[in-house]
Amino acid sequence: MKNSNVMRYVATCCVVAVIGLFLYIVYESKMLSYLSGDPKVCINCHTMNTHYATWQHSSHREQASCIDCHLPRDSFANKMLAKAKDGFNHSMAMTFRTYGYNLRITDDAAERIQNNCISCHAEAVSQMQQNSQLYSQFDDAVPMGRRCWDCHRMVPHGRTRNLTTTQHNLGVKEL
Amino acid sequence: MKRSTFVTIASVVIMVPMLLLVFSIKENKAEQAAINSVPEIAKLEPKSAEWGRYYPRQYDSYLETRKSDEIKDVLKQDPNLVVMWAGYGFSKDYNAPRGHYYILEDNINSLRTGAPVDQKTGPMPTACWTCKSPDVPRLIEEKGELDFFTGKWARWGNEIVNPVGCADCHDNETMRLTVTRDYLKRGLDAEGSEPFADANHQDMRTLVCVQCHSEYYFKKTTWTDPTGGEQVAKVVTFPWDNGLSAEDIESYYDEREFTDWTHKLSRTPMLKAQHPGYETFKTGIHGQNNLACADCHMPYVREGGVKYSSHKIGSPLEDIQNTCLNCHGETEQEFKDIIARKLERKNELANIATGILAKAHLEAAKAWELGATEAEMKAALMDIRHGQWRWDFAVAAHGGFFHAPEETLRILGSAINKAQDARFKLRVILAKYGAVDYEAPGYATKEEAQELIGLPMEKLVKDKMEFLGTVREEWVEDAATRGIYDPKTREMEFSTSYSE
Repeated sequence: MKNSNVMRYVATCCVVAVIGLFLYIVYESKMLSYLSGDPKVCINCHTMNTHYATWQHSSHREQASCIDCHLPRDSFANKMLAKAKDGFNHSMAMTFRTYGYNLRITDDAAERIQNNCISCHAEAVSQMQQNSQLYSQFDDAVPMGRRCWDCHRMVPHGRTRNLTTTQHNLGVKEL
Repeated sequence: MKRSTFVTIASVVIMVPMLLLVFSIKENKAEQAAINSVPEIAKLEPKSAEWGRYYPRQYDSYLETRKSDEIKDVLKQDPNLVVMWAGYGFSKDYNAPRGHYYILEDNINSLRTGAPVDQKTGPMPTACWTCKSPDVPRLIEEKGELDFFTGKWARWGNEIVNPVGCADCHDNETMRLTVTRDYLKRGLDAEGSEPFADANHQDMRTLVCVQCHSEYYFKKTTWTDPTGGEQVAKVVTFPWDNGLSAEDIESYYDEREFTDWTHKLSRTPMLKAQHPGYETFKTGIHGQNNLACADCHMPYVREGGVKYSSHKIGSPLEDIQNTCLNCHGETEQEFKDIIARKLERKNELANIATGILAKAHLEAAKAWELGATEAEMKAALMDIRHGQWRWDFAVAAHGGFFHAPEETLRILGSAINKAQDARFKLRVILAKYGAVDYEAPGYATKEEAQELIGLPMEKLVKDKMEFLGTVREEWVEDAATRGIYDPKTREMEFSTSYSE
C-alpha cells in the first residue's frame, strides 16, 4: 500500500516534468512562430541562413516568401500537414545531424515547388504544359516531367548555396 | 499501482526524445549565436590583421595586391612631364601606381614627400597622408578633422603606419560599407545631383573608392586651437560645386583663383589634377549603367563552396573571365585587343599634348627672358594653365581611357587646342621681342630634362636616403614598440625609381 503511494507520487512528478519540458520546448524552439508565414521563422535555426540570404537578394523576395514556394497552397489542411511533416523531419535531422553542407530537395518538396511555380506563372507556362504531354517525361516527381529550375538554375537561390557561404552573418541582415 | 507504473514508464519514454530535442535546440542555438555574432573588432581598428582573423579570405586577397609591384617610372617614359611640372614635386619623382599593399611605402619613399628632419620640416602638409591609411580616420576621430589637417606631413609619421585597409571602408559592427572621410560627403552634397544621404548599397560600392579616387585640392582653413592659437589647416576638399567635368572643375578653381603652384619656367599659375577617377567614370557607359567600382575591380570568387568578393583590387583584365565576361559575350582575346586599342588612342593624343605643353612652357620662359610684360603674357599663361589642367585631368584619371574613352579623348582634344592657342599667342610675343625663330631646347631623357629645369637630383636622393635611414626608422621603431601596426602589411623590398 505504501509502495503504491510512492509510485503515484513518482508518476505525478513525471507527468509534471513532461508538461514542464514540453512548455520549455515550446518556448525554446519558438514553436508558435512556426504557425506564421514569416520568412524569418525559417532562420530560427542557422541552417537556412544561406537560403534566406540568397532569396533576400533575388527578385522573388518582392513576390514570394519561403512558404509561397515550399508549402502546398491548395488547401489549409494540406499546408498545415506539410508543415507538420517538414517540422518533424527537420527536428530529426537537426537532432541527429543527418544533413550535410549541401541540401538537396526531396521529390515531395520538388513537386510542391513546381506546382507553385506553375500556379503563379500559369499563363506563361500554359503552352509548355500542353506541349509537355507530347514529349518524354524526364522526371516523374514533378508535373510536366522536368524541373523548372533544371534550366532556371539561379532562381531564386543562386548557384552557390552551400551552408558555409554566409559565414559571419554576411548577407543575413535581419538578425 | 499498475496504472501509476504505466504512467511513469510512458512519461519517461516521452521524456527521452524531448530531452534529446532540447539538447539539440540548445546546441544549435549556441552554434547560431556563434555564426550570427559580429566579430569584436574595435571601432576604426587600423590593423587589418585584426579584421583578417575573422575574414581570412578577404584579408588574404587584400594582401595579394602585393603582386602588383612593378615600379613604372612615368617621367622616364615621357621626359616632357619633367618640364611641365617644373617647380613642383612631380618633376622629381612620379611612378605609375602599384597595388594597395604599397600605398604607404610609396608615399614615404617618393622624392615628392621630401626629407624632413623632424616633425615640422619637409615640403608637404599632413593632407598627403589622407588616402594612405586607416590610421587617418582614427586620427581624425581622436584629434578632430582640422587638427589632423594642420602641420607638416612628418607630424604624423609615427602615427600613420598601416597601409589602406579594412577600416577605411567597413563599419566594425556591421561590416557594412561606410565612408570614413567626411570631405566626400561634403563634396557630393555640394555637387548636388547625388547627395550622400541618398546613397544606397550599390552606390556605396563605388563611393568607398571615391573617397580617394577623385580630384581634390587642399583648402586653406583657419581655425582656433584649444589654447587660443590661430592655426591654418589644409583640408582635403573636392572641387565639385560647379559639376564633375574638367571644365566645371576648372571654372571652380578659376573663380577662387586657386593655384597648386607657379610654374618655374613659364610662371604660369598652374593646376595639378589628381586622379579624377570617379568624375570620368560617371561619364562612361559603365558608369551610366550604374555599375560600381567593385563590380569589376572586386569580382566574386569561389573557394570550395564559399563565395566572397576578392579584395585583390587591381586591373579587371587580369581576370576577364570573371569580370567582363559576366555580362559580355566576346572572347578574352577580343577584349584584350579592344582595350589595347583604346589605350593606344589615348596615348596618341596624350603624347601630342605633352609635347606641345612642354614647348609652350619653354617658349614662355624665353618670352619672360626677353622682357615680356605680365599684361602681354597673361592670356597665353591662362591657356597653358587650362591646357595642362585638361591634359592632366584626362591622363591622371586611372583607367580613364577605358572608363570613359569618349570623354578622355574629348578633353585631350581640348587640351591640345588650348596649348596650341598658348603657343600661337607666345609666338606673337616672341616675334615682338625679335625672337620669331626661337626654338625651345630639346632633351632626350628624364635626367636631361631634370637638369634643364635645374633640379639638384643627387642632393634630393641623398637627403631622402638619409631621411629613410634616420627619421623614418624612428617612426617604425616607435610604432612597433606601441604595437600599432600590422607588420605583415609592411614586409617588402625597398623599390623606387631612384634606387639602383
